[in-house]
Parts: sequence; C-alpha cells; structure tokens
Amino acid sequence: MVGVLEVLEVLKIIDSSILLCLFGLPMLGATLLLFIPASALKIIKIVAFAVSLVVAVLAIYIFVSFDETLGGIQFQRIYGWLPLPGPWGSGDDAITLSLGIDGVSATMVLLTGIVMLTGTLISWNVKESTKDFFILYFVLLSGVFGVFVTFDLFFFFLFYELSVLPMYLLIGKWGSTSKFKSFVRTKEYSAMKLTLVLVAGSVLIWVAIIAIFFQAGIGSFSVIEIQKVSETALSPTFQNIFFPLLMIGFGILAGLWPFHTWSPDGHVAAPTAVSMVHAGVLMKLGAFGIIRIGIVLMPNGAETWMPLLIVLGAVNVIYGAVSAMGQTDLKYVIGYSSVSHMGYVLMGMATLNVLGMNGAVLQMFSHGIMTALFFAVAGMIYDRTHTRDTLELRGMAKKMGVISIMFTIAGLTSLGLPGMSGFVAELLVFIGVFQSYGHLGIILGSAAVIGAALTAVYILRLVASVFFGSTPEMWENQTDSRPRELLVAGILVAIIFSVGLWPFPYIEVIESGVNPIVAAISGAG
Amino acid sequence: MSIDILTGANAAWLIPALSIIAFPTTVFLGRFLPGKGSFISILAIFLGFILFWFVLFDFLSGNSVPLHVDIDWIHIGFWKITWGFLVDRISIVMLGLITFVALLVQIYSLQYMKGDNRYGWYFSLHAFFAGSMLLVVLADNLLFLYFAWELVGLGSYLLIGFWFDRRSAAEAAKKAFITTRIGDVGLLIGIIILFKATGTFHISSIIHAAQNGGVADSTIFWSSLLIFLGAMGKSGQFPLHVWLPDAMEGPTPVSALIHAATMVAAGVYLAVRMTPLFELVPEVQVTVALVGLITFIFAGVVALVTTDIKRVLAYSTISHLGLMMLSVGTGAVGAALFHLVVHGISKALLFLGAGNIMHATNDATDCWSFGGLKRKMPITTGIFLIGSLSLAGIAPLSGFFSKDEILGSVYQNMGYAFLIITLVGGFISALYMSRIFLITFTGDPRTDFAQNAHESSRIMLLPVVMLAIVAFFLGMVAFPMWDFNGFSAFVEQGYKFHIIPWLAIVSLMVAILGLLTGWVFYYKSLLSHRAMASRFGLFYRGALVGFWVDSIYEFIINRVVLALGRLIAAFDRIVVNDTGIDGSGKSVLLSAFKIRLIQTGKIYSYGTAMAFGVFLAVAVWWVF
Repeated sequence: MVGVLEVLEVLKIIDSSILLCLFGLPMLGATLLLFIPASALKIIKIVAFAVSLVVAVLAIYIFVSFDETLGGIQFQRIYGWLPLPGPWGSGDDAITLSLGIDGVSATMVLLTGIVMLTGTLISWNVKESTKDFFILYFVLLSGVFGVFVTFDLFFFFLFYELSVLPMYLLIGKWGSTSKFKSFVRTKEYSAMKLTLVLVAGSVLIWVAIIAIFFQAGIGSFSVIEIQKVSETALSPTFQNIFFPLLMIGFGILAGLWPFHTWSPDGHVAAPTAVSMVHAGVLMKLGAFGIIRIGIVLMPNGAETWMPLLIVLGAVNVIYGAVSAMGQTDLKYVIGYSSVSHMGYVLMGMATLNVLGMNGAVLQMFSHGIMTALFFAVAGMIYDRTHTRDTLELRGMAKKMGVISIMFTIAGLTSLGLPGMSGFVAELLVFIGVFQSYGHLGIILGSAAVIGAALTAVYILRLVASVFFGSTPEMWENQTDSRPRELLVAGILVAIIFSVGLWPFPYIEVIESGVNPIVAAISGAG
Repeated sequence: MSIDILTGANAAWLIPALSIIAFPTTVFLGRFLPGKGSFISILAIFLGFILFWFVLFDFLSGNSVPLHVDIDWIHIGFWKITWGFLVDRISIVMLGLITFVALLVQIYSLQYMKGDNRYGWYFSLHAFFAGSMLLVVLADNLLFLYFAWELVGLGSYLLIGFWFDRRSAAEAAKKAFITTRIGDVGLLIGIIILFKATGTFHISSIIHAAQNGGVADSTIFWSSLLIFLGAMGKSGQFPLHVWLPDAMEGPTPVSALIHAATMVAAGVYLAVRMTPLFELVPEVQVTVALVGLITFIFAGVVALVTTDIKRVLAYSTISHLGLMMLSVGTGAVGAALFHLVVHGISKALLFLGAGNIMHATNDATDCWSFGGLKRKMPITTGIFLIGSLSLAGIAPLSGFFSKDEILGSVYQNMGYAFLIITLVGGFISALYMSRIFLITFTGDPRTDFAQNAHESSRIMLLPVVMLAIVAFFLGMVAFPMWDFNGFSAFVEQGYKFHIIPWLAIVSLMVAILGLLTGWVFYYKSLLSHRAMASRFGLFYRGALVGFWVDSIYEFIINRVVLALGRLIAAFDRIVVNDTGIDGSGKSVLLSAFKIRLIQTGKIYSYGTAMAFGVFLAVAVWWVF
C-alpha cells in the first residue's frame, strides 16, 4: 500500500529536482524500454505514452508555475561534476550541471513537452522496430530538454550533440526515400548530410566555447559566471572574432541560408514524429543557442554581426518561400516553409530590440507548434495515400474533411492570419525590424511582410490543389482522421488559437527572459 | 470599466460580439439544433440590428462625443497594443448598413440554400463574416482594424470557396484571398511605418499627430499610399479588381453580401476613415481620385459587353466603388459614404433579384438565355427595376442623390475634365443597367427554362422587397430635415447641404440618355449592338476579357513567379546543395585520396622532398 504521505514525499522530490526529471525521465524511459522485449508492443507503447505524458505535464507545470513577475533564473539547481585546476586556481566548479529556467527556456520547454507528447501519439503506427524507435526518440528528446535547461557550456554542448546524433539513425532506418523524375533523395543520403552538416556546425560552436572558457579565465563553464565577467574579460575584438563562429554554428541548425539544405531533405526523409520534433523543436535549439550563448555572452560581437544576420534572415524568408513554391512534394513544401519561417526568428533576434527579440522567441514557439501540426497532418495523409506528390493528391477534402481543416489551419497560421499564433509573432518581428537599422530596417521589414504574402501564395495554391476540387476515383475510399490523430491535431490547434487570440500569458513569460538580455546589450552598447 | 459598457452607444461592441460568438456556437452545436443552427446566426445579426438603433438614438440624443472602450491585448515593457472600440458617426452608418443587409441576406439564404450539404456551416460563416466586418468598422486602432480586416478576408475566402469541390470555386476563393493580400502587404507596411513615426496605432492619435506636424510629409505620403493599396485590394480598385468578378463562384446571397455590406465596403470605409491623413498630402488625394476615376470608367466599359448577369453586376460594383473612391479623393467623404450605403442597398437588391432568377431558371446566368421574365416574375422584375434605376442615377431614387453629391464635389474640387469623364461614367452606368434589364426581362423567352420560370417564394421575396423600399426612399436622408442636416453633414462635420441645380439636371439628362440608348439598342433594336460590336472589334474583344488584366496576372504568376519558384528550387538543389554542401564534402574526400598518395613509403621520395625543403628554407633565410 502506498500512502498519501509517500506520494507527497515523491512529489516533493520531483519538485526539488524537476529540471533533472525533465531530461532524466526520457532517458529513464529509453533505458526502461531497453529491457522490454521488442515483441511486447502494447507495453512498449504504454511505457512510451506514460513517459511522454508525465514529461509533458512537467513541462506544462514548469511553464505555468514560472513566476514571470520575478523573472530571472528559476528552479535553479547546481550539481558539481568536474573540477579543472589551472591558472585560475582549483577550479572546483569548472564543470557543473547547472540547471535553471528563464522566460525563454520556459517557453521552449513547454513547446518541447507538447511536441514530444503529440509525436509519441502520432508514432503509434510505426511498424518496424517500434522499441528501438522509441528508445532513440527519447534519447533525442532528453538531449533537447537538456539544452534548454542547462546553464553550463559543457553540458549545453553535450546535450546539443545528444540531440543531433540520434537523428542519423532515426532517419536512416525509419525514414523514407523521395523519388522525383530527375533525381532521387535517399533517406541514407539525407541522414548523412544532416548529421555531417550539423556536426560541422558543432565544431565551430565547440571552438567558440573553448575560446570563451579560456578567455574568461575564471575556470568555469557556467554561463552565469562568465556573463558576470564578460564585459571585462571578453574584449570587443575577441567577441568580434568568435561571435560569428557561434552565429554560423548555431545558425546552421536554425536553417540559416546558405547552410539550410540539410533541413528540407532531412525533414522530408524523417518519419512523421521525427519531422515534428526536428522542425518543431530541434531547429529552435540553434536559435536558442545564439540567444543563450552568443548574445548573452558576447553582446559587442552580436552588435557587430547582427546586421549581417538580419540580411541573411531576410534572404531565408524570401528564398525559402520562393523555393517552397517550386516544390511538388507535400513535405518539401513544409520543409522549405520552415526555412522561410526560421528566417523571421533570425531577423527578430538580429534586431536586438525588445519587440524583435520577443517576437523571435514567440515565433520559435509558434512555428514549433505550427510545423508539428503540418508534419503530423502530412503524415496522416501519407499513411492513407502513400504519396506526397501534390500533383497526384486532388480533392482530398471530400473524404478527409477533418484532416483538410487541420492542414488549412496550419496553413493559415503560417501565412500569418490574425487570430492564430503566427500573426502575433510575425507582427512583433515586423515592428522590431522596422524599428532597427534605419532605412535597411524599413527595406528588410517590407521584405519580411512580402514574405508573408508569398507564403499565402504557396500555401493557398497547395490547399486549393490538394484538398479542393473534385475528388478523383482513386481517392474515393479514403478515411478521415481517427480519434488519436484528432487528439494530436486538436492539442496543437488549441495552442495555435490560444496564442493567437490571447498571447498575453505567453508574452509575459518570454518578456521576463528576453528583456534583461536586451537591456544588457543597450547597456553594453 | 463599469456597467456603462452595456448602455447606449457604449454597447456597440456587442453588435460584432454577438455574431462572433454565434460562429463557434453554430460550428460546434449547430448540428444538434433545428435548422442546423441557422437561427442562431440570424438571431445574432438581428439583435445587432436592433442594437444599432439604440446606438444611433443614444448617439443622436447628445452623446455626440466619440466613445472609446479599451482592452489590453499585448504589452511588452511600456509598449502595448489595445483592442479598442470607437463609436462615431462613420462607424454608426456602417453598423446600420452591415447589420441590415447581412440580416436580410441571411433570411433570404434560409430558402435559397435549403438542401445544401453544409447548410449549418454556411450560416456559421455568415456569422463570422458579418462579425469580422463589424469589427473592422468599430476598431479604433489600425492594428485591430488590420486584424479584423484579415478575418474578413478569411470569411470571403471560405464563402467564395463554399462549394470547394468545384475547381472554379476553389480557384476563385484563392484568387480573392491572394489578390487582397497583395493590398494588405501595403496596408500592414503603411501601418507599421505610421507606428514607427508616431508610436501609436490609434487612428485618432495618428491623425492628430500628423495634423500637428509631428510626422514628416514623406512618411505621410508613403504610408497613405500603402494604406490606400490595402483599400484598393479590398474594394476592387483597378488593377486589383480581378478577384471580384470571379467571386461570383460563391452562392449568390454571398455575392450580395460581399458586394454590398462587407468586404468591398471595407476598403471604402478605410479610405474614408483615413481621409484626414490623406488630405495632408494633396498628391495622395489626387492618386485616390485618379484610381477611382479609372476604375469607374474601366469597369463600366467591361460591364457593357459582359453577358453573365452576375458578372455584369460585379463589374458594376467595381465601377461604383471607383466612384466612391473618386469621391473620397475629392474630399467628399460624406458623399462617398452615402453612395456606399445607397449602392450597398441597391446592389444587394439586384444580387438577390439575380438569385431569384437563377433559382427559377436552374442556375442559368447568361442574360441572353433569359428574356420575357417580366411576365413570369413580376415582383422580381419590379424590384430589379428599382435597383437598376437607382444605380443608373434616376431621380427620385436614392442613387440619384448620392451621385449628385459626388458630382458636385468633383466639379468643385477637380474641375471640368474630371467632371466630364465622371458624367461619361454615369452614362455608361445607366446604359449597362438598362441593357441588362431589358435583355433579361423584356422580349420573348429565349430558352425553355426562361419559359418555365416562376416567381420565388415569400421568404425569398420579403428581404428583396424590403431592400427595394429602402432603395426607393433612402435618397430622402440626403436632405436636411428638422434638426438633421442631411446625411453628408451628419458624417462630415462642417459640410453644408447644397444642390447645384444645373449639375443635377445635366446628370439626370445623362442618365436618361444612357437608359434611352439601351432602349434603342436592346428593346427597339433600332440599332444593332452586334454591328457596333463588330465595328469596334478589337475594343469589344478586349472589353469582353476585361482588357486582358487577368491574362497579364496569369502570365506574371505562371511565367514569372512560379517559374522563379521552380528556378530557385532547382538552384537550391543543384548549386547550393549538390555543389556547395556535397561539393565541399566531396572535395575533402578527394583531397584525402590525393594526400594519401604522398605517403609512398619510398626513401628516395622522402629524401627528395626533404632536400627541397632544406633548400627552400635556406633560400628564404638568405633572401630576408
């Protein structure tokens, strides 16, 4: 018999180490799955669902109980790990598992929790090696959560790599190969390219992290400690040299042009849940890294290089949108739209002003939810029709009414329709861009608005051709969404509307994390 | 905020709120209710219409100060966006027009849409569409206005594409959304530029700041033009008018709504609302007037040769919207708004009349397939006649008075050249109205279904008859009565009601001349319209296809934009990916193979390399 007191005791332990649980539970889940025989499909699914549900609840709990009026870093726990003696002394706290949540990461944790749960639910129909799939999926998510909650550069990088590498196997084994008339993109190629390109980015990041560690000279990998001395220890020249390493290194994961090609190919090849996590959450790791490490530790470097980033971001927006127009594969359209939408994130953070930065973080959240919905629905269609060719899919709305509505909602969000999350985020980014960099800001801001109109062109063309019109005979026997799929889409749609109609609760939290960063830059500048 | 948000004019926010709440209610609960929930959305708009009268009388009884209600939506630091409502003269007029027309259209639809698979969804959309349009006219800040404005766009998208399993409907819906979206790009940029200059989205604060010289002239110029671009998109001004004729793919009552009270009215409303800003830069006003004039004439000419009855009405709408913009450009916002109301009522009437005809003739729309309907459908004929005469500008119908005020303003502010062209446009208006009326209702039935046509049921006639009565008498409100100084003076403070007698007579003569010309061609056949058409062959063929504007867009979209898309997609694959990313990978691989060859394991090659290295080192040391 488990008494109430014991339960309370357990709850207390969880509460005191909640961030540890956040990335520990998926890891624990993965380990647990290792010991379940692969044939016990039902148990595997129950375990996977239970772990995801608990983690999602924890994520929601963290977001809700995050006190935005207090701001700063909350839920803080520091566990010592490895001392590094050196010129700076004993270096007892050199590498610590320094956990904490600020307004930005609270939002990202919420996003990850939701996408994880919906991704698990949508993976019910993974037929092949279900057990291994979930193990890798959980390892991946453990890494993602780890990145968001750690304030230590070493662990940041460790988790960062942990979240990239499982992708290789997930895509290479469970992915799908796209065949086009003139060329083929095999899943093995996409998986390899994704991994190699991202690892190349990691090299740049690692170089910058080591450089920061030595330059700061306090014998600590802690972001919080280094930030305290960054103004004196990290000279503007140092920042100007090393900021681009972080900007490009993290930028690659955020889909920065021209290093973005891994992302559409990777998204398309990946199985549905992995596409959701990948486009929905993983790309945000890059943007998050630029903010958390780049802008926070090297504000001078940021100020020097941001004009370049804002131009590249605008290129992302327009180039991604125009490329999306030229695609004939449902998932490729979504993949390129991600490249385009991540451009808004890059532009927003490159403004280095309050509105732009808040918009960027909100766009990270909004795009994560929206693109998860996109890929979930694309997966539902693919499961039924076994094709993603937009020239073949016609008039699907007749038989897949609910699925069509869900896809249309995702589409309307992505073209920035008011009432949905994308509008609020993009609006803040637009205004932020207009307010920055004088005439350049006005030109790039206009380009960003035009990008949203281009999105309308490719999304509505897609919706009109795939869903509307008369239904060909071959698609007459399709079925609409099942309850489980409806639940997935319903969760995501509800969040899209809640942000779009009443963004206040989200913005309050984001603001408490972003505003100090912006204030620090204005102070440094 | 206290209890007073529920009383008098302050309760205006309830009018859109009712319809907006009706939307999710009918979507989720409609299927369980009798009539699929249609009565909920009708009730919502009906209550809105009742509330409108309360708001109006409260406003007239002395609460003439514009009223504000503000709700915080976002604030970041000391920067914030509020959702606020503004109840002033302009918005009250719009409230009346929208609730009245939307109510009648919804009642009409009860019968018209009977038996449709998505009957409930249809009424939900109507509630949404009307609700968002009502929000547009009540919004007190530009961002909120834009918010509602886009929702209007979504409403039109869903209603035009209501029969989405028809390819043409899906295409028309897409076209409407994207075309208006082009204008909206301008609108949003304009709004943000104004925000950057003034630090606020509040319309009155922006105008106040601009009038007091707080904003640079170039900023006002560009932002006004950009905002006007948004108005052009929604109100179908040349060259962004292409979506409006295609919007006929929606159910006919939807056309009535779009052309009269929602959607297209939004653009004129916005231009009227922003006129104090436009007025600060004369070039903007001239641009507005010119765009209006071009649209007025252009669409009128196309309407002259079009044979699809709904498309004739659509081009007539575009033309009259041009006239309204012309009026805005001359500064006569009262007249513009008056014509918006008059045209809205008349056009709703004509569309619902056309709906009656289609309902009776198996959804035929080509006017040459009708003929002689006046004997089969006498009431519809009567009300169609009233609508036609009103739009043609024949006294004493309302259209005459609104057009007269616009002509007066054009004459006073723009001079003779504009006046004469406007009068020509008036002639064209009268001509195409008489043409479509005579072909449809007089003569002998030309087809079987015209032969078998029958009058519509009462529930469809009732709204139309009410519209006809209003269209007939509405002109009266142009005149001062008791302590009411006439419609224009109500809207535009400082305006004095006056009539220029000779101009009124000339305008009436021109309209009658237009009607007579139509009578000569299409009733008496004294002159052959076919001979005319072949004499001006190229011009005629051009007008038939809307002077190739659509083809130009099609060319741009298919041959430029989409081709660019394919090009960039291929560029991305071949150049950026296969050359840039894969290429760098391959070159690493290749160089690894090459470098491998250096490790030969042969002593003499190592020795040679070493000797060469020593030689080089010595040489370098010796040189420097």
